[in-house]
This record gives sequence, C-alpha cells and structure tokens, in this order.
Amino acid sequence: MMPLGLLAPGEKAEILAIRGEKPGCHRCTCQCRLESLGLREGKTVEVLNNPGRGPLLVKVDESRLALGRGVAMKIRVRRMRK
Amino acid sequence: MKNQAALKMALSEPAKTLTVAVAGNPNAGKSTLINALAGTRLQVGNWPGVTVEKKEATLLFQGRRLRLVDLPGTYSLSPYSQEEIIALDYLVQEHPDVIVDVVDSTNLERNLYLTMQLLELGIPVVVALNIYDEFQKKGYEINTSLLEGSLGLRAVPTVATRGEGLEELLAAVLEAGDHPEAHRPRTLNYGQDLETAVQEVERHVQVRHPDLATRYPQRWLALKLLERDERLLRETNLGNGPFLEQATRHLREGHGDDLEELLAEARYGQAAGLTREALKKKATGRRELTEKIDAIVLNRFLGIPIFLVAMWLMFKLTFDVGNPLVDWVDGVFTGPLTRWTKALFTAIAAPEWLVSLATEGVIGGAGMVLTFVPLIFAMMFFITLLEGSGYMARAAFVMDRAMHAMGLHGKSFIPMILGFGCNVPAIYATRTLENPKDKILTALLVPLMSCGAKLPVYVLFTGLFFAAYASTVIWAMYVLGIVLAMGMGILFRRTLFKGESPLFIMELPPYRLPTLKSLLIHTWEKGKHFLVKAGTYILAISILMWFLLNLPWGVADKKDSVLGKLGQGIAPIFQPLGFNQWQAASALVTGFIAKEIVVSTMGQIYGTEEEKEEAPSFGEDLQEIGVSLGKAFWEAGSNVFSTFGIATLAAEEDEKTESWRDKLTESFTPLSALAFMAFTLLYMPCMVTAAAYKHEFGTWKWFGLATAYGLILAWLVAFIIFQGGRLLGLGG
Repeated sequence: MMPLGLLAPGEKAEILAIRGEKPGCHRCTCQCRLESLGLREGKTVEVLNNPGRGPLLVKVDESRLALGRGVAMKIRVRRMRK
Repeated sequence: MKNQAALKMALSEPAKTLTVAVAGNPNAGKSTLINALAGTRLQVGNWPGVTVEKKEATLLFQGRRLRLVDLPGTYSLSPYSQEEIIALDYLVQEHPDVIVDVVDSTNLERNLYLTMQLLELGIPVVVALNIYDEFQKKGYEINTSLLEGSLGLRAVPTVATRGEGLEELLAAVLEAGDHPEAHRPRTLNYGQDLETAVQEVERHVQVRHPDLATRYPQRWLALKLLERDERLLRETNLGNGPFLEQATRHLREGHGDDLEELLAEARYGQAAGLTREALKKKATGRRELTEKIDAIVLNRFLGIPIFLVAMWLMFKLTFDVGNPLVDWVDGVFTGPLTRWTKALFTAIAAPEWLVSLATEGVIGGAGMVLTFVPLIFAMMFFITLLEGSGYMARAAFVMDRAMHAMGLHGKSFIPMILGFGCNVPAIYATRTLENPKDKILTALLVPLMSCGAKLPVYVLFTGLFFAAYASTVIWAMYVLGIVLAMGMGILFRRTLFKGESPLFIMELPPYRLPTLKSLLIHTWEKGKHFLVKAGTYILAISILMWFLLNLPWGVADKKDSVLGKLGQGIAPIFQPLGFNQWQAASALVTGFIAKEIVVSTMGQIYGTEEEKEEAPSFGEDLQEIGVSLGKAFWEAGSNVFSTFGIATLAAEEDEKTESWRDKLTESFTPLSALAFMAFTLLYMPCMVTAAAYKHEFGTWKWFGLATAYGLILAWLVAFIIFQGGRLLGLGG
C-alpha cells in the first residue's frame, strides 16, 4: 500500500482507500468530488504523467484527471504488476 | 416573459409546451448540443440569486413547443457545490416534463452515475449518448436496448458537433414527455432493509405531510431524509421529530451510520455493472492521440516553454487583429461621428452645451470604452479556442506548481494571464474555479496585471522621461504588477482567505477541434455583456463626468470646475509621491472610467488648442471610414504574419500630444513620472471591471476590497519609489 503520488508514469494501481476526512475537508468536498470523478475504492488508475513535483496526471476509466500532489498523497493504492 | 409565452401558447398551441431540462457531466458536450438545438434562439441569463449562467431556448419540433433549460454541468447531484444545488433545486421544484441527460458515450460508467441519480427523481429521462463518433472510432459497441430496458429510459446516440441524432433525440423527448406513464424510470433497488425504510418514510410523509408529498418526488424525498440531508431537513422541518430516528435506527444498526455512502455505493455498483454488460470494448494497444499530445505538452521540461509560446501567440494574435480595428473604431468615433453629431445638433439649433455633452461626454466617454470592443472580442475568440481545444486545462496543469506560491492552484493562472489583455474578461474567467475562496482571491489579484488600457499611460510617460530605455521601463511595470500580485496573494491567503491550500482536481478533456460555429457563438456570448454595459451605465457615468468637468455652469477655467476642485482637494495626498498638481489628481479620478482616460483627461486639462481643420463632407467621411476599415483589416492580416506585431501597440499614442508635452515635462520629473506610472498601474480597477465584479459576484464588496487595497498599495509603492529615489539622490 502506497500513496498514488509515488507511482511512476506508466504504472497501474488499484485504489484501496481515500483519506479525505481531515479537518476542513468535509467528506463531500474532497472525497465525494474524487468519487464523482471516478476515483473510488477498487478502481484501477494508470499514472500518465508524474513529474515528481507539482500535479500528476492519471487515467481512470476513460477520463484523464489532473490531481494536485496533496490530493494524490491522500489516495492509497496497491501497485499492480505489469 | 412567462405571461407572454403562456399567451402565445393559448393563441396558437392546443398541446402543452414541454419543459425539458438538459443535464450532464462537464465536457460531455452539453453546451454544443444545446447550441446545435437552439442556435440563436438561446437566451443567456443567470440563475436567480447566483451568477451561474442559465441558458434557455424555446423551439418548435413537429409542431410542438419545447422549452429547453440548460442545467449547470455536474458530476453528481449531491447538494455540495453551487452548480449541483442549482441543478437539483430546479429538477425538484420546477418539475420539468423530461430530463435530457447528455452522456459522454466514450466514458459511460462515470456519466451513468449522474444518470442513476436523475432517475430517482421520477421524471422521464432521455439519454443522449453523445460523442458517438469517437465512441465508434474507438471500436466500442453498446447494447442500447439493454440500457433502456434496465433503466426505463430512452437512449439515443448523438454527435452534437455535427448535429447528428438530434431529430431522433427530440422525437424521443416528445414521446417521453407525452406518455410519462410509459416512461417511468426504473428505480434502483437498494436491498430489503433500505427499501422497507424508504416505504415507511414515504407512508409517513403521505399521511402526515401531504403538502410535502406533492411538492417533492416521493421516493427521492424519502431517500434524502434517510440520508439526513441537512438542507432538506431544514426546509421540511422533519428533522426535529423522533420519527426519522426510529425509521433509521434499524438501518444504522445493520449498515453503520453513513447511509449516504451506502446509497452512493449502490449507485456506483449499478453504473459499473450496467456498463460491463451493455458496453463492448475492443482492446486496442495503441495510445490515443490525446495521450500522445499530452506526453509532449505536459512534459516536465517542455511544458512551460510550450505554454509560454502559446500565451505569446495568443497575445500577439489578439493585439495584431484587435488593435487596427480599435484604431479604426476610435477614428470613426473621434472623427466623422463627432463631426456628424455636431452638424446634426447645429442643424436642429441645439444649445452649445448639448453639443459638447454629446461629443465630449457621450462619444468621448462611452464611445471611448466601445473602441475596445474589437480587442475584447479578439481576445475572447482566442480564449474560446484555447478552451474549446482542451489546451487551457493543460496550461493550468503546467502552472500549478508556480501558483502554489500564492496559495492558489493552476486553474487560477488562466484568469491572471487574461488580465494582461483586459481585466474584464479576466474577472469573468474566474468562473472556472470551483472553490469560491479561490475565485474571489484570484479576482482580487487580477487588477494588478497591467491591462492594455494602462499601456497608453506607460507609453506617454516613458516616451517623455525615459526615451532611451522606454521598453525596459514598461517591462518593469509588468513585472512590478506580477511581483505585487504574488505578495498580495500570500498576504490574503494568510489573512482573509485562511484555510487549507486548495485541492487541485481537474478533468483534462480530450483534445478536440472546435467548430467555427461554436467558437463564434461562445465568443459572442462572452463578449456581449461588454457591449450591453457600455451602452447602459458606462454611458450614464460618462455623462456625469462631463457635468463634473463643466459645472458650475459656464465655468471658463477647467481648474474651477467641480472635477478641477476635486482634483485640487485631493492633490495634497499625492504630495509625498511627487505629483501634487490638481491636473494629475483629476486625471487619476477620471481614470476610473478606463485607465486610458488618464491620458485623454491630461490632454484636455493641460489645454489642447481646438483643432482647426477642414471638415470633410459627409460623402468623404463615409469613403474614409470604408477605406480605413479596409486598411485596418489589411493591417490585422499582415500583423498576424509579422513577428513583431505586438510592437504596433507601443507606437500608438504618438502625434497630437506635441502641444502639451512641454507642460507635462515641466510638471513631472523622471522620478515622479515613475511614481505616477506605478500609481496608475495599481490604484484601482476601472469602471468596467467594477461592473464585472458586481456581475460575477453579485455584490460590490470585492470590488470595494480591490479598490481599498489597490489605493493603499498604489500610494505605498509610489511613495517608496519617489522618496526612495530621492534618498538615493536620483533627484526629485
């Protein structure tokens, strides 16, 4: 289990948990927004671009999402073998 | 308007008008679909009480009247963002006859989640399986009847960009709207425990609160009450009694506290399951074009250079195309139009003051603002192109890290860039930011960007005082604005807009080539507010300014006019900044209308001689207008292909200032000129920007704050420049 933000471009992973419940981050301003964009537990994500700093680009289903690093570090994933 | 529509209907239509709400995810092509259906009949306004755009259109189809209402694009219907609340409230309270759900068929699963929520409202749903051309290109296949059968809706493939499938879509809408019983949506079964609770709540509401049962869709109401939706509990006053507690106790024991999560999971499950069954994907190994482009455009090293080139191109093209036309409009207003007005007023023997009011007040004031219309529209066009093609979202991605320094994220970068052209579209562009705090903070920083209207001031003063290194000084003004924006951003984030650094989540749509038609429609929609405002209260304020310069009645010396007195009154404030003349003060006051007026007011006050030139005839004027328009287009065209097109900007305000240049050189020193330029850059947003603040935020508050901090900052910076310069012995 590792944060999504640490995956390299081209790697795929399964989302295990989204840690959104911290003060000032209501479930539905963070987690729900991620969920409604398709980032949910059990989903497979592919990292398209991860420059190491700044936002990263992931692919879920058919959509490309830009995720701030802060958000990406809250998403715990299991890396899948190629 | 409602009455009118009702009247028309009563006269001509026996059958009732169908109200059709159009919902869908952002980037699903909803806008394009609406435009394709309604075209020019589209009326754009705002939803009551908020500044989110509302589009409506009435159209005739097979002799029936359909009223389309465009709901804000949303990913779900949970009541947490403004857009979602608007969409939800409309659907729940206005009971449209049919919902058209525009779905990106290439991204079915996620789009279906919203569909699942729409179905719960009990209103017939027609799904537009949009972007079907790309869907087919990808080699996907869909079992439409399975989708229709399991959800109890109609599904029609459409390609909105090419207008395909729209007839079928409208036919399905008509059919569903006329036979709602046959098109009752299937509801998702949430399992025995939940369904029992739902029934219990529904019964309770029916018996005890029959008014609520008619006001809201029943099943939806019951589900929301079980979720303990705060807004609904407040609205219905059902939260207080012990009833809900009892109805949900059993549920919570079995499923935990978060029923909302439980329901959300069930909907996702259904959407995912259905997609698996109905959709056949061929596995293709090849990378999509969008991903290939992104690999270059978002590259760690190439991303920023590519972005800078794109921005430079946008500016170049905007000013190349816009400037000659601005000059042309300006020429028409100050030349023939002014002469004709004078001639007309003389012909009807109007008093002298009326002539002056019409020419100097109305044409010189409101007309002045109108001259910027070509620039605004050119800019809007290129912005629309950047947005429509999908690149704008990439720019936000690339600039995200730099913007974090200001406590903002990448999306805020777009409005700030636009601010260099004109602050007005920049304020409107903050619309793309979801978080209200980010939106306001960004809008507050926009006025620090050197807009095109500040340039004439820079050009005039650098020409007089820093001729040898004019471009460096102008460039320094731009940099000063950017640096101060960063500083103010950090300051605001630490004080007024405290809170977590914003979450950056944004969908990057696939690259698409927008059609010319949709480009033009969106450009027009973006720019037309500007025209309307110029014709209404900018006109009013211009007339007011004219009176201020000409009262008390028949004042001979402008120094003794109200504006002159005002200038004299506030001039001491500028004493420590090095420019305490009443002329400079008055010019700054009038600069509120538009920053370039600072220059024109100075010209007026420092006393230009009335130009005595041969007045051309009407025919010659007309000819000249035509010829100069041709020239303007030619210039615009040739500019685009010349590398140094932007340079035309700096060469503008040259001639005709000769007569009062000397006086200006006497009144200012290089140091006080620099302070004056910095003050002009910072002191306050112009009138049109003020209108944009009010229009976008619905309150004068943020304009007030922008003005207040602007004035303070302007004074401080000018003070530091002037006094600091003197200390360094640079002369005063």
